[in-house]
Amino acid sequence: MTAVIETKSLSKWYGNILGLSDVTLEIEAGITGLLGPNGAGKSTFMKLLTGQMKPSIGQVIVQGQKIRNNYDLYARIGFCPEQDAFYEEMTGWEFLTSLLKLFPFSHAQVEARAEKTLNIVELWNDKDRLIRAYSRGMRQRLKFAQAIAHDPDIIILDEPLNGLDPLGKRKVIRLIKDYKSEGKTIIVSSHVLPEIEALTRTIILIHQGKILAQGDIHYIRDLIDAHPHIIAIKCNDPRALAGRLVGEPSVFNIQFGPAADTVLFETKNRDRFFSLLPRLIVENRLDVEEITSPDDNLQAVFDYLVGK
Amino acid sequence: MPIAEKGYAHWQGKFIDRKFAWWPITRLAVRQAFKKKGFKFVFFGSLIPAFFYLAGIYISERLEDFKFMMKGTNRFLEVNPAYFRTYFTGDFLLFMIVIIMVIGGAGLIADDLKYNALQLYFARPLHKKDYFLGKVFTVFFFLMFLTLVPGLIFIIMKLVFAGNFKFLATYPWLPVSVILFSLALALFFSFYTLLVSSLSKNRRYVSILLILIYIFSDVFFGIFYGIFHNPYFALISIKGNLQQVGAALFKVKAPYDVPWLYSFLILLAICILSGFILKKKARGVEVIK
Amino acid sequence: MPQHTWRSLRSIFSLFFPAGRKSRKTKVFFAIACLPVLMALIIKMNQSFFGGRTIEGMAVFTNIIMAFYLQFLILVLALFYGSSVCLEEIEGKTLTYLTTRPISKSGIVLGKYAAYVIIVIPMVLAGVVFSFFILNFEDLADFSIWAVLAKDLGVLALGLMCYTAFFTFLGTFFKRSILFGLVFAFGWENAVQYFPGSTQRFTIVHYLKSLLPGGTVTTSGRFSFLLFKLDPSPPLTAIVTLLIVTAVFLGLACLLFSQKEYLFEE
Repeated sequence: MTAVIETKSLSKWYGNILGLSDVTLEIEAGITGLLGPNGAGKSTFMKLLTGQMKPSIGQVIVQGQKIRNNYDLYARIGFCPEQDAFYEEMTGWEFLTSLLKLFPFSHAQVEARAEKTLNIVELWNDKDRLIRAYSRGMRQRLKFAQAIAHDPDIIILDEPLNGLDPLGKRKVIRLIKDYKSEGKTIIVSSHVLPEIEALTRTIILIHQGKILAQGDIHYIRDLIDAHPHIIAIKCNDPRALAGRLVGEPSVFNIQFGPAADTVLFETKNRDRFFSLLPRLIVENRLDVEEITSPDDNLQAVFDYLVGK
Repeated sequence: MPIAEKGYAHWQGKFIDRKFAWWPITRLAVRQAFKKKGFKFVFFGSLIPAFFYLAGIYISERLEDFKFMMKGTNRFLEVNPAYFRTYFTGDFLLFMIVIIMVIGGAGLIADDLKYNALQLYFARPLHKKDYFLGKVFTVFFFLMFLTLVPGLIFIIMKLVFAGNFKFLATYPWLPVSVILFSLALALFFSFYTLLVSSLSKNRRYVSILLILIYIFSDVFFGIFYGIFHNPYFALISIKGNLQQVGAALFKVKAPYDVPWLYSFLILLAICILSGFILKKKARGVEVIK
Repeated sequence: MPQHTWRSLRSIFSLFFPAGRKSRKTKVFFAIACLPVLMALIIKMNQSFFGGRTIEGMAVFTNIIMAFYLQFLILVLALFYGSSVCLEEIEGKTLTYLTTRPISKSGIVLGKYAAYVIIVIPMVLAGVVFSFFILNFEDLADFSIWAVLAKDLGVLALGLMCYTAFFTFLGTFFKRSILFGLVFAFGWENAVQYFPGSTQRFTIVHYLKSLLPGGTVTTSGRFSFLLFKLDPSPPLTAIVTLLIVTAVFLGLACLLFSQKEYLFEE
């Protein structure tokens, strides 16, 4: 399959700070997830892909052409930025039509596209309200709308699910999948693994400006499963709980915390551990105050992957 | 089970009475102001007149030595309450104060409105008055440095250069005047700056309004005074009103033949208006129970 | 101008002109620009109804109203709107919406500049025209004063274009362009114009004042403030210089805006 987007030795510095380092990859049609913790370089990468920034080294080729200052290509790309920023004194309708007018569409086409898009994102009934009065979720949907209104071939979405409620997230995810079936190329960034998992199997892992891995998400999942998880439980009798779990094969390390009421379990099988835990709590009549996973985040996964 | 409301809610817990609850806000704002490029230059540049006036105080005690340079300028170098009033209400100092407010004070409320920070503040155990005091004292810090500190140094150095307390014996109320006028100036500019800053989320717009209102009030006064020769038009001018109040506090002849009380009331009215609008802005972010 | 830039300019103009016209800030500035009208009204009412001192209408208009507009108001308006061309998009973080569209960056600068200039010129000229009518109500039949008005309107319009172009350039270059703009407007422009000789030719206001019809106005001679210490340049030189200055600063702004990368404050 021909790559829609190619990057060759792409690097970007902000003064002395490295934003992106030597990224060479190809992105094909379909949905590609860009996964990385905050500050990993996802937004920088997306800004380079959309030609908003000039690379310090390397180049970005989109549909066989260099992207930088290529206005014809810009017409085929839709970008949804991460920032929650709008022309607040406009209504949703004015905002969308104003941005559509920057394309070579006729007046009738602008209105038709705006109407269609606002219906897709379910903002048609609120189109005449000022953006200032929109909720967080409505603003996010409007941002998404401006990225898709001109029917681009390539859609680049920077944290599109931020601020959306679970129902809103499902709707956007479904929309993105619909665009995939139309043959479009979609790149979605997030720092939340389950969000990316719901969208695609093809992901790019980015960390500290470097591409850690590119490929199937199950590869990442397997790595995560192999990575031992720490679960901290604060209760009135941690030793009793520890005693009940010491024989459990999936638990391979137990430590007592500095405070007398906390115990830390290390397990390679989170799912099994959490399936056992409620029964043990009830049987031992334990008062559990807190259950946390200190390393249950993408940063911990990345630290593990890079060997920290 | 009650469902917690999404978003920030006003602090409903106990308020622990702390002496200087406003201090973290002031400290942060002052630090942020000094981080801005050009602010330090403008701020310390505003002290240039103070050095000249200090030099004048020195020369006034050594007139014999400088007589060859200072023909006919004995009057200028007479250090008296008028000398202090001239420093405190001079065009340069007042203009520089406005510029400092533009650079360091325009965003005090405007930025909080822009980033919805008011809700963050009031979700913590912070009274509204502590929030506003924190902002007011930021401006106070800057202005005290430009007014009270030099004013008191002038008095001290006058006594030091003279080698006696004759100056203080002649004008025993002068230190009080310096303190009072510095406070009045700082208080007025604090409320003025916060009033304008609360009018918009756009710091650039606020900056323009700060300078526009100050300059235009003076320009309009100049125009109307030039045409009508009526001193009461001085009440339009912020600078004019400050000069009137300054003259009253330093017990010197007022520049315009208008009761100084009117000027004081106008400045007070601006402060009250500021308080009213600030209270309205804070109330605007309160979550309705 | 390349066709693409021209198309971009038109698109951006059609976005920002209606939005800027309806904005609250424009309404506030319009009210401020009409304050001299209030001033003119007070002066006239004082003369007509309260038996105040009779002052020649054209003298007041030319040397007070025009001085106010020329030396203060157009500077402040140009500073705000000029710096807004670029900084508004950066501070509001809306620049992304424009730079990811098939429009050139020069078109963004020129389109916004055109939109704001066309908003601010009528705002100022309306105040001038109303002030003129009020102050010269009895002499409107004298067509010679209309020529003065026309020239004054032309000077103000040219001044707004030129100052806005300069502040647009400042806005693309400096983040804190308000401070530099204030130093230029109330420091450089207001002070250096009174320097004798060629020094005053390094200000924009010198060329604007060179176009003022001061010599044709019959005044009592008391109000010569605007022309004080003016060593005027020939009118054609003044117009050409102002147009060149406008074009140069707009060109620099376009160049800088196209090359520079703007990072949003986090």
